[in-house]
Amino acid sequence: MSFLQPLLSGTLTGGVYALAGIGMSLVFGVMNISNFAHGDLMMLGMYLAYFAFTLLHIDPYLSLVLLIPTAFMFGFLLEKLFINKVINHPHQNQILLTIGLGLIMSNTALLAFTSDPKILTTSYSSSAFNLPGGISISVPLLLSFLITCVIIAMLYLFLSKTTTGMALRATSQNREAAQLMGINVAKMSAIAFGLGTALAATAGALIAPTYYIHPLVGHSFLLKAFTICVLGGLGSVVGAGVGGIIIGVVEAMSSTYLSSDWKDVVVFVLFLAVLLLRPQGLFGKKGGQS
Amino acid sequence: MKQIALVTILAAAAIALPLIIGENPYMTGILISVLMMAALSSAWNILGGYAGQYSFGHAAYFGAGAYTTLILLTNYSTLNPLICMAAGIIVASLIALITGTIVFRLRGHYFGLASIAVAEIVRLSVLNFEFTGGAQGILLSDISLWGLDLNSKNPFYYGMLLVLAVTLGITAYLRTSKTGYYLMAIREDQDAASSLGINLSFYKNKSLVISAALTSVLGSLYGLYIRFIDTSAVLDLRLSIEIILTAIIGGVGTLWGPVVGALLLVPLAEMLRSNLLGDALVKAGLVSDTSAFGIFLKENLAHAHVLVYGIITVLCILYLPKGVLGLFRRTK
Amino acid sequence: MIKDLLRVSHASKHFGGNVAVHDVSFAVDEKEIVGLIGPNGAGKTTLFNCMTGFFPVTLGEVIFDTKKINDLRPDEVCRLGMARTWQRVKPLGSLSVLENVMVGAFSVTNKPRQAEVIAMEELTKVGLTDYASKSAGSLPIGLKKKLELARVLATHPKLLLLDEICGGLNHTETDTILDIIRTIRQRGATIVFIEHDMKAVTSICDRIVVLNSGEKLAEGTPEEITNNPDVIAAYLGGGHHA
Repeated sequence: MSFLQPLLSGTLTGGVYALAGIGMSLVFGVMNISNFAHGDLMMLGMYLAYFAFTLLHIDPYLSLVLLIPTAFMFGFLLEKLFINKVINHPHQNQILLTIGLGLIMSNTALLAFTSDPKILTTSYSSSAFNLPGGISISVPLLLSFLITCVIIAMLYLFLSKTTTGMALRATSQNREAAQLMGINVAKMSAIAFGLGTALAATAGALIAPTYYIHPLVGHSFLLKAFTICVLGGLGSVVGAGVGGIIIGVVEAMSSTYLSSDWKDVVVFVLFLAVLLLRPQGLFGKKGGQS
Repeated sequence: MKQIALVTILAAAAIALPLIIGENPYMTGILISVLMMAALSSAWNILGGYAGQYSFGHAAYFGAGAYTTLILLTNYSTLNPLICMAAGIIVASLIALITGTIVFRLRGHYFGLASIAVAEIVRLSVLNFEFTGGAQGILLSDISLWGLDLNSKNPFYYGMLLVLAVTLGITAYLRTSKTGYYLMAIREDQDAASSLGINLSFYKNKSLVISAALTSVLGSLYGLYIRFIDTSAVLDLRLSIEIILTAIIGGVGTLWGPVVGALLLVPLAEMLRSNLLGDALVKAGLVSDTSAFGIFLKENLAHAHVLVYGIITVLCILYLPKGVLGLFRRTK
Repeated sequence: MIKDLLRVSHASKHFGGNVAVHDVSFAVDEKEIVGLIGPNGAGKTTLFNCMTGFFPVTLGEVIFDTKKINDLRPDEVCRLGMARTWQRVKPLGSLSVLENVMVGAFSVTNKPRQAEVIAMEELTKVGLTDYASKSAGSLPIGLKKKLELARVLATHPKLLLLDEICGGLNHTETDTILDIIRTIRQRGATIVFIEHDMKAVTSICDRIVVLNSGEKLAEGTPEEITNNPDVIAAYLGGGHHA
């Protein structure tokens, strides 16, 4: 059954993409900013996991315990130092600022880690479960997917049950109204950017054991994250989750049936098709008009 | 009047410059880069600066010009390069129209995002197709046009200068024409513009196609000049960002901003790329040539120009969002 | 009776499940000034947006100058001769006052020189000539409203839709705007006028249409409307005053 194989591995990879997409969507929803440094934040997550493993011998999945708070703080600081300075600027300035930050991150990484791709090989990197019908599930992919599910569930609980989470959602719904109701929207922005960064870095760390690690890898992830957000409806967290899975599956299918050289092209064509046919995304409400 | 005099002097100086510096291919090369970046950024400015539609994928149009020209010339070596350039314009305009038709119905962040997606589709397609030379790129052996010595850099200097002059001329004309006013109205407020009788997608598409066509001519010229192109040279996202950054530093939406930006940025990038900075540090005795740090600098500083671009972008957006020309305007 | 310049029949606008405008019909004759009033959220601005192509009506028809314009874009509606102002003014901030009005004038001429002449005429009408070279974004609100009016007049509309052109202005400013509108009308303009200020509406309109919760509540002369018990209950009685 060659059809099930890409469907399954696409879904597993898509879960991790979803995590990155949700991070971007959260930032977009709360701050109305397209974060062009998102892919580079993912790249930093990959390197963090890599060095935690090679230098400190911490398993990449366990390293998340350290990585998530570190990335959150990093994002929080980025927001305080740079992003909030342009929160009322035209959106092209916001985009350029994040592009600039992304260039600094990726090129600092290039200088520090050189352009040789790194590979994170754990003892279970190439092990897989074999299911009947010739389908195999890669162990690291499955682990990544399961951890993704746990993180998304935690994020869901955070957004729906905690005061901060609800304040975040209120800010995302209507920034002005939230401010009038006494929500500290400046703080919400910093938290949202911190969360977005943490999610991007986590996605990077989760994908690190199954991907090559390179300083300039961020930009292909960035475009994927955008596609996911637009597919799900800009600013919609649930949409981003579903969008991630769709992108993962589309990618795996096109690798199998077309060629892996063309999989990114297929993803971007899908992106344009969504803009053409359903610009508000699969789950978005406002889209297009705002 | 004063302005006309100033422009005449500038033009005369630009025309005379190669004669003054004489046979110095290195200097001429840098000057060509300055002119090209100024023209690219001016072409982008028509769309980004005047119509307010930021394209983050202008490399696609540059690459369309370069690739179309070189593919045609490697297959039909007797073709007139100008015809190839025209073919490049057609290809670039088609890409522009497809992008515009899909995205200009939408507001907000969509055009910026879609422009990158289109540029990536073009880049990856060129990389994956065989007729485009794939990852190897295209090498052009020999070209001829009107008996010019195309092995010398001077014809290309004047070619770039001409395209820059045309681009600035178009921009200056637009600024005082109905189309120019309409583009600025769209930049300022799309609802107001449309309520005043402005067909938003028509005018956005118009400025995109003008901008893309000019960009593609520059791509063709660059291809003929360098005679070797690959995706990382003419289709990379980095190029798109350099184009925007040049406009931002000089002043977006001003006639001369892109020229000022190119005069500042290109020499800086050249200094980093050619390791002048590293050499200077060694010469000043600050860093030893043989120390680990010195070797690190030697090996890496050439790559650091993109890092410097990143830092400049951030500083510029935070402290100088109206560019160098905006600074003068304020103090006036 | 002169022919209808504008006829809105059974217009409804739904946003998802919300009904913003429900089955509203009215007509505007040539050279008439019609007031469109109603409490906040009554659907006045939505109706304007439907008439001018910003969002198409869900049901019903909008007929302008004998043409059905339901599915036209805003710019096409403007070129047919129906132009609007905005309740929240939308100046083209970094352009000068004169250039703002020239943008409007370009819908009747392609020549910048001529657009400038038209723009100066309109600026004279509203008394903004002294500000011609100022940047539009820097004007105070009262002058921005005048700019809004001059800019839309420069498109030489057959029908002018004014959305709370006096909103947020003090009495003197309101009076100046009303004077300008009276002058425009003397030259034969047709106007639909959304306004909160009851006094302004009754002093200038030939006929008034009252909306409430998206539906048409009443229609008649200013006198009939001010004495209509439903209107008093819904609108005047709702604690609203000028």
